[in-house]
Amino acid sequence: MKETGHLHTLSIRNLTVRKGGAAILEGVDADIRCGEVTALVGPNGAGKTTLLQAILGQVPYTGEIRFCRAREHGEGEPRIGYVPQHLPLDRDAPVTVLDFFALTSQRRPVFLGSSRKSREAAQESLSRAGMGHLLRRPLGRLSGGELQRVLFALALRDDPDILLLDEPVSGVDVAGEELFCDFLSQVHRSSRFSLLLVSHDLSVVTRHADQVICLNRRIVCRGATTEVLTPENLAAMYGSGAHLFRHSHADGHGHIHEPGD
Amino acid sequence: MDGILSGVFALMGHLLPFPFAEPAFMKRALLGLLLVAPAAAAIGVPLVQHRMAFFSDAIGHSAFTGVALGLILGISPSWTVVVFGAVVAVAIVLVRGRTGLSPDTVTGVFFSAVVALGIAIISRERGLTRNLQAFLYGDPLAVTDAELAWMAALLLLVSAWLALFYNRILLLGIHEGFARTKGVPVRAVEISFALVVALVVTAAIRAVGILLVTALLVIPAASARNVARAAAPALWISVGVALLSGVSGIVASWYLDTATGATVVLAAACCFAFTALYRAARPEG
Repeated sequence: MKETGHLHTLSIRNLTVRKGGAAILEGVDADIRCGEVTALVGPNGAGKTTLLQAILGQVPYTGEIRFCRAREHGEGEPRIGYVPQHLPLDRDAPVTVLDFFALTSQRRPVFLGSSRKSREAAQESLSRAGMGHLLRRPLGRLSGGELQRVLFALALRDDPDILLLDEPVSGVDVAGEELFCDFLSQVHRSSRFSLLLVSHDLSVVTRHADQVICLNRRIVCRGATTEVLTPENLAAMYGSGAHLFRHSHADGHGHIHEPGD
Repeated sequence: MDGILSGVFALMGHLLPFPFAEPAFMKRALLGLLLVAPAAAAIGVPLVQHRMAFFSDAIGHSAFTGVALGLILGISPSWTVVVFGAVVAVAIVLVRGRTGLSPDTVTGVFFSAVVALGIAIISRERGLTRNLQAFLYGDPLAVTDAELAWMAALLLLVSAWLALFYNRILLLGIHEGFARTKGVPVRAVEISFALVVALVVTAAIRAVGILLVTALLVIPAASARNVARAAAPALWISVGVALLSGVSGIVASWYLDTATGATVVLAAACCFAFTALYRAARPEG
Protein backbone atom coordinates (compact mmCIF):
# COMPACT_ATOMS: atom_id res chain seq x y z
CA MET A 1 0.00 0.00 0.00
CA LYS A 2 2.78 2.41 0.91
CA GLU A 3 6.14 2.31 -0.83
CA THR A 4 8.14 3.29 2.24
CA GLY A 5 9.52 0.19 3.89
CA HIS A 6 9.06 -0.39 7.57
CA LEU A 7 11.76 1.90 8.83
CA HIS A 8 10.84 1.53 12.42
CA THR A 9 8.38 -0.30 14.57
CA LEU A 10 6.98 0.15 18.01
CA SER A 11 6.71 -3.36 19.26
CA ILE A 12 4.61 -4.18 22.30
CA ARG A 13 4.98 -7.59 23.90
CA ASN A 14 2.94 -9.10 26.69
CA LEU A 15 1.99 -5.70 28.08
CA THR A 16 0.04 -5.78 31.33
CA VAL A 17 -1.13 -2.78 33.32
CA ARG A 18 -2.74 -3.16 36.75
CA LYS A 19 -4.48 -0.55 38.82
CA GLY A 20 -5.49 -1.41 42.36
CA GLY A 21 -5.10 -5.14 41.75
CA ALA A 22 -7.37 -5.28 38.68
CA ALA A 23 -5.83 -5.80 35.26
CA ILE A 24 -6.72 -2.99 32.90
CA LEU A 25 -4.61 -4.44 30.11
CA GLU A 26 -3.47 -8.03 29.97
CA GLY A 27 -0.94 -9.69 27.69
CA VAL A 28 -1.21 -7.17 24.90
CA ASP A 29 0.98 -7.76 21.81
CA ALA A 30 1.06 -5.28 18.96
CA ASP A 31 3.33 -3.84 16.30
CA ILE A 32 2.85 -0.28 15.20
CA ARG A 33 4.75 0.24 12.01
CA CYS A 34 6.16 3.33 10.42
CA GLY A 35 4.12 4.70 7.56
CA GLU A 36 0.98 2.90 8.63
CA VAL A 37 -2.13 4.10 10.34
CA THR A 38 -3.01 1.78 13.17
CA ALA A 39 -6.42 2.21 14.71
CA LEU A 40 -7.16 1.19 18.24
CA VAL A 41 -10.84 0.42 18.76
CA GLY A 42 -12.78 -1.01 21.63
CA PRO A 43 -15.65 -0.23 24.00
CA ASN A 44 -15.44 2.23 26.88
CA GLY A 45 -13.17 0.95 29.62
CA ALA A 46 -11.32 -1.33 27.22
CA GLY A 47 -8.00 0.23 28.18
CA LYS A 48 -7.36 2.25 25.02
CA THR A 49 -6.22 5.37 26.82
CA THR A 50 -4.22 3.24 29.27
CA LEU A 51 -2.35 1.70 26.35
CA LEU A 52 -1.43 5.18 25.14
CA GLN A 53 -0.31 6.10 28.64
CA ALA A 54 1.87 2.99 28.80
CA ILE A 55 3.51 3.92 25.48
CA LEU A 56 4.07 7.41 26.86
CA GLY A 57 5.59 5.91 30.00
CA GLN A 58 2.99 7.49 32.24
CA VAL A 59 1.71 4.33 33.92
CA PRO A 60 3.74 1.45 35.37
CA TYR A 61 3.46 -1.75 33.34
CA THR A 62 4.98 -5.17 32.95
CA GLY A 63 5.97 -6.60 29.61
CA GLU A 64 7.91 -4.82 26.93
CA ILE A 65 7.46 -1.74 24.80
CA ARG A 66 10.37 -1.45 22.43
CA PHE A 67 11.11 0.99 19.71
CA CYS A 68 13.05 -0.60 16.87
CA ARG A 69 14.62 2.06 14.77
CA ALA A 70 16.13 1.63 11.34
CA ARG A 71 19.62 3.08 11.17
CA GLU A 72 18.80 5.64 8.47
CA HIS A 73 16.13 7.13 10.69
CA GLY A 74 18.35 8.64 13.36
CA GLU A 75 19.25 7.38 16.80
CA GLY A 76 18.17 7.48 20.39
CA GLU A 77 14.81 7.61 22.08
CA PRO A 78 11.82 7.97 19.79
CA ARG A 79 10.07 11.30 19.69
CA ILE A 80 6.47 10.70 20.60
CA GLY A 81 3.83 13.20 19.59
CA TYR A 82 0.66 13.06 21.62
CA VAL A 83 -2.68 14.70 20.99
CA PRO A 84 -4.80 14.29 24.10
CA GLN A 85 -8.49 13.55 23.92
CA HIS A 86 -9.65 16.48 25.97
CA LEU A 87 -7.88 19.67 26.75
CA PRO A 88 -10.01 20.90 29.62
CA LEU A 89 -10.00 24.46 28.47
CA ASP A 90 -10.13 27.27 30.87
CA ARG A 91 -11.87 29.82 28.65
CA ASP A 92 -10.33 32.80 30.39
CA ALA A 93 -6.77 31.55 30.62
CA PRO A 94 -4.41 34.21 29.28
CA VAL A 95 -2.56 31.77 27.02
CA THR A 96 -2.53 32.20 23.25
CA VAL A 97 -1.81 29.59 20.62
CA LEU A 98 1.62 31.17 20.20
CA ASP A 99 2.23 30.96 23.96
CA PHE A 100 1.29 27.29 23.84
CA PHE A 101 3.84 26.64 21.09
CA ALA A 102 6.47 28.74 22.85
CA LEU A 103 5.92 26.96 26.19
CA THR A 104 6.91 23.68 24.60
CA SER A 105 9.86 24.84 22.54
CA GLN A 106 11.80 27.65 24.14
CA ARG A 107 13.91 27.92 27.23
CA ARG A 108 13.18 31.62 27.65
CA PRO A 109 10.23 32.13 30.02
CA VAL A 110 7.21 33.19 27.99
CA PHE A 111 6.67 36.32 30.09
CA LEU A 112 9.77 37.69 28.38
CA GLY A 113 8.15 37.07 25.00
CA SER A 114 8.42 34.30 22.45
CA SER A 115 11.72 33.63 20.72
CA ARG A 116 11.87 34.24 17.01
CA LYS A 117 12.66 30.58 16.43
CA SER A 118 9.62 29.32 18.30
CA ARG A 119 7.40 31.93 16.62
CA GLU A 120 8.54 30.88 13.15
CA ALA A 121 8.17 27.19 13.90
CA ALA A 122 4.68 27.82 15.26
CA GLN A 123 3.65 29.87 12.24
CA GLU A 124 5.01 27.28 9.85
CA SER A 125 3.34 24.23 11.34
CA LEU A 126 0.06 26.08 11.96
CA SER A 127 0.00 27.21 8.33
CA ARG A 128 0.62 23.65 7.26
CA ALA A 129 -2.51 22.67 9.19
CA GLY A 130 -4.41 25.58 7.64
CA MET A 131 -4.60 27.31 11.00
CA GLY A 132 -2.02 30.07 10.53
CA HIS A 133 -4.56 32.77 11.39
CA LEU A 134 -4.96 31.41 14.93
CA LEU A 135 -1.43 32.29 16.12
CA ARG A 136 -2.49 35.13 18.40
CA ARG A 137 -5.85 33.71 19.44
CA PRO A 138 -6.31 32.73 23.10
CA LEU A 139 -6.51 28.94 23.46
CA GLY A 140 -9.82 29.23 25.31
CA ARG A 141 -11.49 30.86 22.30
CA LEU A 142 -10.84 28.04 19.86
CA SER A 143 -13.62 25.79 18.64
CA GLY A 144 -13.27 22.04 19.14
CA GLY A 145 -12.11 21.54 15.57
CA GLU A 146 -9.65 24.42 15.69
CA LEU A 147 -8.16 23.15 18.92
CA GLN A 148 -7.78 19.69 17.42
CA ARG A 149 -5.83 21.07 14.50
CA VAL A 150 -3.70 23.29 16.72
CA LEU A 151 -2.76 20.32 18.90
CA PHE A 152 -2.02 18.31 15.80
CA ALA A 153 0.14 21.10 14.36
CA LEU A 154 2.02 21.25 17.65
CA ALA A 155 2.65 17.50 17.57
CA LEU A 156 3.92 17.70 13.99
CA ARG A 157 6.23 20.61 14.71
CA ASP A 158 8.52 18.32 16.68
CA ASP A 159 8.80 15.81 13.83
CA PRO A 160 7.60 12.78 15.78
CA ASP A 161 8.56 9.17 15.13
CA ILE A 162 5.28 8.05 16.62
CA LEU A 163 2.11 10.07 16.78
CA LEU A 164 -0.60 9.10 19.25
CA LEU A 165 -4.04 10.56 18.64
CA ASP A 166 -6.64 9.97 21.33
CA GLU A 167 -10.14 10.29 19.85
CA PRO A 168 -9.08 12.93 17.34
CA VAL A 169 -12.58 13.58 16.05
CA SER A 170 -14.56 13.62 19.28
CA GLY A 171 -16.27 16.95 19.78
CA VAL A 172 -15.92 17.86 16.11
CA ASP A 173 -18.84 17.97 13.69
CA VAL A 174 -18.99 15.75 10.61
CA ALA A 175 -17.62 18.40 8.24
CA GLY A 176 -14.76 19.10 10.64
CA GLU A 177 -14.12 15.40 10.94
CA GLU A 178 -13.83 15.00 7.16
CA LEU A 179 -11.45 17.95 6.95
CA PHE A 180 -9.35 16.59 9.75
CA CYS A 181 -9.12 13.09 8.31
CA ASP A 182 -8.23 14.36 4.86
CA PHE A 183 -5.56 16.56 6.33
CA LEU A 184 -4.30 13.68 8.43
CA SER A 185 -3.85 11.34 5.52
CA GLN A 186 -2.25 14.06 3.43
CA VAL A 187 0.33 14.82 6.14
CA HIS A 188 0.84 11.20 6.90
CA ARG A 189 1.60 10.35 3.30
CA SER A 190 4.39 12.92 3.17
CA SER A 191 5.94 11.98 6.53
CA ARG A 192 7.09 8.71 7.96
CA PHE A 193 5.78 8.60 11.48
CA SER A 194 3.81 5.69 12.86
CA LEU A 195 0.32 6.77 13.66
CA LEU A 196 -1.74 5.21 16.39
CA LEU A 197 -5.27 6.44 16.40
CA VAL A 198 -7.80 5.75 19.13
CA SER A 199 -11.29 6.10 17.80
CA HIS A 200 -14.85 5.20 18.52
CA ASP A 201 -15.79 6.18 15.03
CA LEU A 202 -15.51 3.17 12.75
CA SER A 203 -16.11 5.31 9.68
CA VAL A 204 -12.81 7.01 10.34
CA VAL A 205 -11.20 3.67 11.02
CA THR A 206 -12.50 1.89 7.92
CA ARG A 207 -11.53 4.78 5.66
CA HIS A 208 -8.13 5.67 7.04
CA ALA A 209 -6.56 2.85 8.99
CA ASP A 210 -4.30 0.21 7.46
CA GLN A 211 -4.30 -1.92 10.55
CA VAL A 212 -6.83 -2.30 13.34
CA ILE A 213 -6.29 -3.47 16.88
CA CYS A 214 -9.49 -4.43 18.67
CA LEU A 215 -8.97 -4.11 22.37
CA ASN A 216 -11.05 -5.17 25.30
CA ARG A 217 -8.54 -5.47 28.15
CA ARG A 218 -6.75 -7.96 25.92
CA ILE A 219 -6.36 -8.07 22.20
CA VAL A 220 -9.62 -9.34 20.70
CA CYS A 221 -8.17 -9.36 17.22
CA ARG A 222 -5.78 -7.42 15.05
CA GLY A 223 -4.87 -7.28 11.41
CA ALA A 224 -5.70 -5.46 8.19
CA THR A 225 -8.77 -3.26 8.55
CA THR A 226 -10.88 -5.10 6.01
CA GLU A 227 -10.21 -8.48 7.56
CA VAL A 228 -10.72 -7.48 11.15
CA LEU A 229 -13.93 -5.49 11.24
CA THR A 230 -16.21 -8.47 10.78
CA PRO A 231 -19.55 -8.91 12.57
CA GLU A 232 -18.11 -11.76 14.67
CA ASN A 233 -15.21 -9.67 15.93
CA LEU A 234 -17.41 -6.67 16.62
CA ALA A 235 -19.76 -8.88 18.59
CA ALA A 236 -16.86 -10.30 20.60
CA MET A 237 -15.77 -6.80 21.45
CA TYR A 238 -18.96 -4.86 21.97
CA GLY A 239 -21.51 -7.60 22.79
CA SER A 240 -23.73 -9.72 20.60
CA GLY A 241 -26.13 -6.97 19.52
CA ALA A 242 -23.45 -4.79 17.95
CA HIS A 243 -23.08 -4.44 14.22
CA LEU A 244 -21.47 -2.03 11.84
CA PHE A 245 -24.36 0.21 10.97
CA ARG A 246 -24.18 1.90 7.63
CA HIS A 247 -26.03 5.18 7.49
CA SER A 248 -27.47 6.38 4.23
CA HIS A 249 -24.48 8.63 3.56
CA ALA A 250 -23.19 8.10 0.03
CA ASP A 251 -19.74 7.48 1.45
CA GLY A 252 -20.93 4.71 3.71
CA HIS A 253 -20.41 6.25 7.09
CA GLY A 254 -20.14 3.46 9.61
CA HIS A 255 -20.75 3.70 13.32
CA ILE A 256 -20.85 1.06 15.96
CA HIS A 257 -24.19 0.76 17.63
CA GLU A 258 -23.90 -1.00 20.93
CA PRO A 259 -26.80 -3.00 22.38
CA GLY A 260 -29.08 -0.59 24.15
CA ASP A 261 -28.15 2.34 21.89
CA MET B 1 23.92 45.84 54.55
CA ASP B 2 23.15 48.92 56.69
CA GLY B 3 24.96 51.02 54.12
CA ILE B 4 22.82 49.73 51.26
CA LEU B 5 19.62 50.27 53.20
CA SER B 6 20.47 53.82 54.26
CA GLY B 7 21.42 54.56 50.66
CA VAL B 8 18.07 53.23 49.48
CA PHE B 9 16.23 55.27 52.10
CA ALA B 10 18.12 58.44 51.11
CA LEU B 11 17.18 57.81 47.47
CA MET B 12 13.54 57.29 48.45
CA GLY B 13 13.67 60.60 50.37
CA HIS B 14 14.73 62.36 47.15
CA LEU B 15 12.20 60.60 44.94
CA LEU B 16 9.31 61.03 47.34
CA PRO B 17 9.47 64.51 48.84
CA PHE B 18 6.08 64.08 50.51
CA PRO B 19 5.09 64.17 54.17
CA PHE B 20 3.98 60.52 54.18
CA ALA B 21 7.42 59.35 53.10
CA GLU B 22 9.33 61.30 55.76
CA PRO B 23 9.32 58.90 58.73
CA ALA B 24 11.79 56.03 58.51
CA PHE B 25 9.07 53.49 59.32
CA MET B 26 7.09 54.64 56.27
CA LYS B 27 10.15 54.25 54.03
CA ARG B 28 10.64 50.75 55.42
CA ALA B 29 6.99 49.87 54.89
CA LEU B 30 7.06 51.17 51.34
CA LEU B 31 10.27 49.31 50.52
CA GLY B 32 8.92 46.13 52.08
CA LEU B 33 5.77 46.26 49.99
CA LEU B 34 7.68 47.11 46.82
CA LEU B 35 9.73 43.95 47.40
CA VAL B 36 7.12 41.49 48.54
CA ALA B 37 4.03 42.56 46.58
CA PRO B 38 5.49 42.02 43.07
CA ALA B 39 6.92 38.64 44.11
CA ALA B 40 3.50 37.61 45.45
CA ALA B 41 1.71 38.92 42.36
CA ALA B 42 4.04 37.12 39.95
CA ILE B 43 3.76 33.80 41.76
CA GLY B 44 0.02 34.45 41.96
CA VAL B 45 -0.37 34.04 38.18
CA PRO B 46 0.40 30.29 38.12
CA LEU B 47 -1.31 29.96 41.52
CA VAL B 48 -4.59 31.22 40.04
CA GLN B 49 -4.11 29.13 36.91
CA HIS B 50 -3.73 26.02 39.08
CA ARG B 51 -6.73 27.04 41.24
CA MET B 52 -4.61 27.01 44.36
CA ALA B 53 -5.93 30.10 46.20
CA PHE B 54 -7.09 27.85 49.03
CA PHE B 55 -3.63 26.29 49.19
CA SER B 56 -2.02 29.67 49.81
CA ASP B 57 -4.65 30.36 52.48
CA ALA B 58 -3.74 27.09 54.19
CA ILE B 59 -0.05 28.02 54.19
CA GLY B 60 -0.97 31.45 55.55
CA HIS B 61 -2.91 29.92 58.41
CA SER B 62 -0.09 27.49 59.16
CA ALA B 63 1.73 30.58 60.45
CA PHE B 64 -0.43 30.35 63.60
CA THR B 65 1.20 27.08 64.40
CA GLY B 66 4.57 28.27 63.16
CA VAL B 67 4.53 31.15 65.65
CA ALA B 68 3.31 28.94 68.48
CA LEU B 69 6.03 26.36 67.80
CA GLY B 70 8.71 29.04 67.70
CA LEU B 71 7.61 30.47 71.03
CA ILE B 72 7.47 27.16 72.88
CA LEU B 73 10.76 25.97 71.33
CA GLY B 74 12.45 29.27 72.08
CA ILE B 75 13.33 29.92 68.43
CA SER B 76 12.47 33.19 66.67
CA PRO B 77 8.95 32.79 65.23
CA SER B 78 10.10 34.49 62.01
CA TRP B 79 12.07 31.33 61.26
CA THR B 80 9.63 28.71 62.48
CA VAL B 81 6.82 30.29 60.44
CA VAL B 82 8.87 29.92 57.24
CA VAL B 83 10.06 26.38 57.97
CA PHE B 84 6.66 25.15 59.16
CA GLY B 85 4.93 26.77 56.16
CA ALA B 86 7.33 25.00 53.79
CA VAL B 87 6.80 21.66 55.53
CA VAL B 88 3.01 21.98 55.30
CA ALA B 89 3.21 23.01 51.63
CA VAL B 90 5.30 19.98 50.66
CA ALA B 91 3.12 17.67 52.77
CA ILE B 92 -0.01 18.85 50.97
CA VAL B 93 1.55 18.27 47.55
CA LEU B 94 2.81 14.80 48.48
CA VAL B 95 -0.53 13.68 49.93
CA ARG B 96 -2.46 15.28 47.06
CA GLY B 97 -0.54 13.17 44.54
CA ARG B 98 -1.27 9.93 46.39
CA THR B 99 -5.01 10.03 47.00
CA GLY B 100 -8.03 10.15 44.77
CA LEU B 101 -9.38 13.07 46.77
CA SER B 102 -9.75 16.47 45.17
CA PRO B 103 -6.90 18.94 45.82
CA ASP B 104 -9.33 21.19 47.70
CA THR B 105 -10.30 18.40 50.07
CA VAL B 106 -6.70 17.50 50.88
CA THR B 107 -5.83 21.16 51.42
CA GLY B 108 -8.90 21.55 53.65
CA VAL B 109 -7.82 18.66 55.85
CA PHE B 110 -4.34 20.12 56.31
CA PHE B 111 -5.74 23.61 56.82
CA SER B 112 -7.95 22.48 59.72
CA ALA B 113 -5.42 20.14 61.28
CA VAL B 114 -2.67 22.75 61.26
CA VAL B 115 -4.84 25.55 62.66
CA ALA B 116 -6.18 23.19 65.33
CA LEU B 117 -2.63 22.30 66.36
CA GLY B 118 -1.78 25.99 66.60
CA ILE B 119 -4.83 26.76 68.73
CA ALA B 120 -4.13 23.76 70.97
CA ILE B 121 -0.57 24.95 71.65
CA ILE B 122 -1.63 28.56 72.19
CA SER B 123 -4.41 27.57 74.58
CA ARG B 124 -1.91 25.69 76.77
CA GLU B 125 0.66 28.46 76.83
CA ARG B 126 -1.12 31.57 78.03
CA GLY B 127 0.58 34.78 77.10
CA LEU B 128 1.27 33.73 73.49
CA THR B 129 -1.78 35.55 72.19
CA ARG B 130 -0.07 38.93 72.28
CA ASN B 131 2.71 37.68 70.02
CA LEU B 132 0.19 36.42 67.50
CA GLN B 133 -1.37 39.85 66.90
CA ALA B 134 1.49 40.99 64.67
CA PHE B 135 1.07 37.90 62.50
CA LEU B 136 -2.71 37.93 62.41
CA TYR B 137 -3.07 41.44 61.07
CA GLY B 138 0.46 42.08 59.85
CA ASP B 139 2.15 45.43 60.12
CA PRO B 140 4.38 46.71 57.36
CA LEU B 141 5.19 49.70 59.57
CA ALA B 142 7.04 47.37 61.96
CA VAL B 143 9.16 45.62 59.32
CA THR B 144 12.78 45.29 60.48
CA ASP B 145 15.92 45.72 58.40
CA ALA B 146 16.59 41.99 58.57
CA GLU B 147 13.13 41.30 57.22
CA LEU B 148 13.70 43.76 54.38
CA ALA B 149 16.89 41.90 53.48
CA TRP B 150 14.96 38.60 53.48
CA MET B 151 12.27 40.11 51.26
CA ALA B 152 14.90 41.34 48.79
CA ALA B 153 16.51 37.89 48.72
CA LEU B 154 13.09 36.36 48.21
CA LEU B 155 12.33 38.63 45.27
CA LEU B 156 15.54 37.41 43.63
CA LEU B 157 14.68 33.80 44.41
CA VAL B 158 11.17 34.15 42.98
CA SER B 159 12.57 35.77 39.83
CA ALA B 160 15.03 32.93 39.40
CA TRP B 161 12.33 30.32 39.95
CA LEU B 162 10.05 32.00 37.43
CA ALA B 163 12.84 32.18 34.87
CA LEU B 164 13.50 28.45 35.22
CA PHE B 165 10.03 27.04 35.76
CA TYR B 166 7.42 29.45 34.44
CA ASN B 167 6.96 27.65 31.11
CA ARG B 168 6.71 24.29 32.81
CA ILE B 169 4.24 25.31 35.51
CA LEU B 170 2.06 26.97 32.87
CA LEU B 171 2.12 23.90 30.63
CA LEU B 172 1.35 21.72 33.63
CA GLY B 173 -1.70 23.89 34.30
CA ILE B 174 -2.96 23.37 30.77
CA HIS B 175 -2.76 19.57 30.68
CA GLU B 176 -0.75 17.34 32.99
CA GLY B 177 -0.49 14.34 30.67
CA PHE B 178 0.51 16.55 27.80
CA ALA B 179 3.11 18.32 29.96
CA ARG B 180 4.59 14.93 30.88
CA THR B 181 5.04 14.04 27.22
CA LYS B 182 6.94 17.31 26.82
CA GLY B 183 9.35 16.20 29.52
CA VAL B 184 8.02 18.30 32.39
CA PRO B 185 9.10 16.64 35.67
CA VAL B 186 5.65 17.06 37.17
CA ARG B 187 6.30 16.20 40.80
CA ALA B 188 9.51 18.23 41.01
CA VAL B 189 7.84 21.28 39.49
CA GLU B 190 4.85 20.95 41.85
CA ILE B 191 7.02 20.63 44.94
CA SER B 192 9.29 23.52 44.03
CA PHE B 193 6.24 25.65 43.26
CA ALA B 194 4.70 24.78 46.64
CA LEU B 195 7.95 25.76 48.36
CA VAL B 196 8.16 29.09 46.57
CA VAL B 197 4.52 29.81 47.42
CA ALA B 198 5.23 28.97 51.07
CA LEU B 199 8.24 31.33 51.18
CA VAL B 200 6.30 34.16 49.55
CA VAL B 201 3.23 33.67 51.74
CA THR B 202 5.21 33.61 54.98
CA ALA B 203 7.09 36.77 53.96
CA ALA B 204 3.93 38.55 52.86
CA ILE B 205 2.34 37.80 56.25
CA ARG B 206 4.62 40.49 57.70
CA ALA B 207 2.98 43.02 55.44
CA VAL B 208 -0.70 42.15 55.45
CA GLY B 209 -1.16 39.43 58.06
CA ILE B 210 -2.45 35.87 58.04
CA LEU B 211 -6.03 36.89 57.32
CA LEU B 212 -5.25 38.86 54.18
CA VAL B 213 -2.13 37.22 52.79
CA THR B 214 -3.89 35.29 50.03
CA ALA B 215 -5.19 38.59 48.67
CA LEU B 216 -1.65 39.67 47.80
CA LEU B 217 -1.20 36.60 45.59
CA VAL B 218 -4.67 36.23 44.17
CA ILE B 219 -6.12 39.71 43.54
CA PRO B 220 -3.39 41.04 41.20
CA ALA B 221 -3.37 37.80 39.19
CA ALA B 222 -7.17 37.79 39.01
CA SER B 223 -7.17 41.41 37.83
CA ALA B 224 -4.62 40.52 35.15
CA ARG B 225 -6.85 37.69 33.92
CA ASN B 226 -9.65 40.19 33.42
CA VAL B 227 -7.51 42.14 31.00
CA ALA B 228 -4.74 39.99 29.52
CA ARG B 229 -5.20 37.53 26.68
CA ALA B 230 -1.61 36.29 26.42
CA ALA B 231 0.88 34.91 28.91
CA ALA B 232 3.40 37.77 28.94
CA PRO B 233 0.93 40.60 29.62
CA ALA B 234 -0.77 38.47 32.29
CA LEU B 235 2.37 38.42 34.42
CA TRP B 236 3.33 42.06 33.92
CA ILE B 237 -0.18 43.39 34.54
CA SER B 238 -0.31 41.34 37.74
CA VAL B 239 3.00 42.83 38.91
CA GLY B 240 1.80 46.31 37.88
CA VAL B 241 -1.40 45.95 39.89
CA ALA B 242 0.66 44.85 42.91
CA LEU B 243 3.00 47.85 42.69
CA LEU B 244 0.15 50.29 42.12
CA SER B 245 -1.96 48.97 44.98
CA GLY B 246 1.07 48.67 47.27
CA VAL B 247 2.06 52.31 46.84
CA SER B 248 -1.44 53.77 46.71
CA GLY B 249 -2.55 51.66 49.68
CA ILE B 250 0.32 52.78 51.84
CA VAL B 251 -0.19 56.45 50.93
CA ALA B 252 -3.95 56.21 51.51
CA SER B 253 -3.43 54.55 54.89
CA TRP B 254 -1.24 57.50 55.96
CA TYR B 255 -3.91 60.07 55.16
CA LEU B 256 -6.92 57.98 56.21
CA ASP B 257 -5.19 56.70 59.34
CA THR B 258 -6.22 53.09 58.58
CA ALA B 259 -4.34 49.80 58.97
CA THR B 260 -1.69 49.72 56.23
CA GLY B 261 -1.98 46.07 55.18
CA ALA B 262 -5.76 46.22 54.93
CA THR B 263 -5.64 49.46 52.93
CA VAL B 264 -3.22 47.91 50.45
CA VAL B 265 -5.57 44.97 49.95
CA LEU B 266 -8.51 47.36 49.48
CA ALA B 267 -6.53 49.21 46.82
CA ALA B 268 -5.88 45.89 45.05
CA ALA B 269 -9.59 45.06 45.26
CA CYS B 270 -10.34 48.41 43.57
CA CYS B 271 -7.95 47.43 40.74
CA PHE B 272 -9.85 44.17 40.41
CA ALA B 273 -13.17 46.03 40.22
CA PHE B 274 -11.87 48.36 37.50
CA THR B 275 -10.49 45.50 35.41
CA ALA B 276 -13.75 43.56 35.82
CA LEU B 277 -15.69 46.59 34.54
CA TYR B 278 -13.28 46.93 31.63
CA ARG B 279 -13.77 43.29 30.79
CA ALA B 280 -17.57 43.61 30.90
CA ALA B 281 -17.41 46.64 28.60
CA ARG B 282 -15.04 45.03 26.08
CA PRO B 283 -16.95 44.28 22.88
CA GLU B 284 -16.23 40.60 22.24
CA GLY B 285 -16.02 39.76 25.95
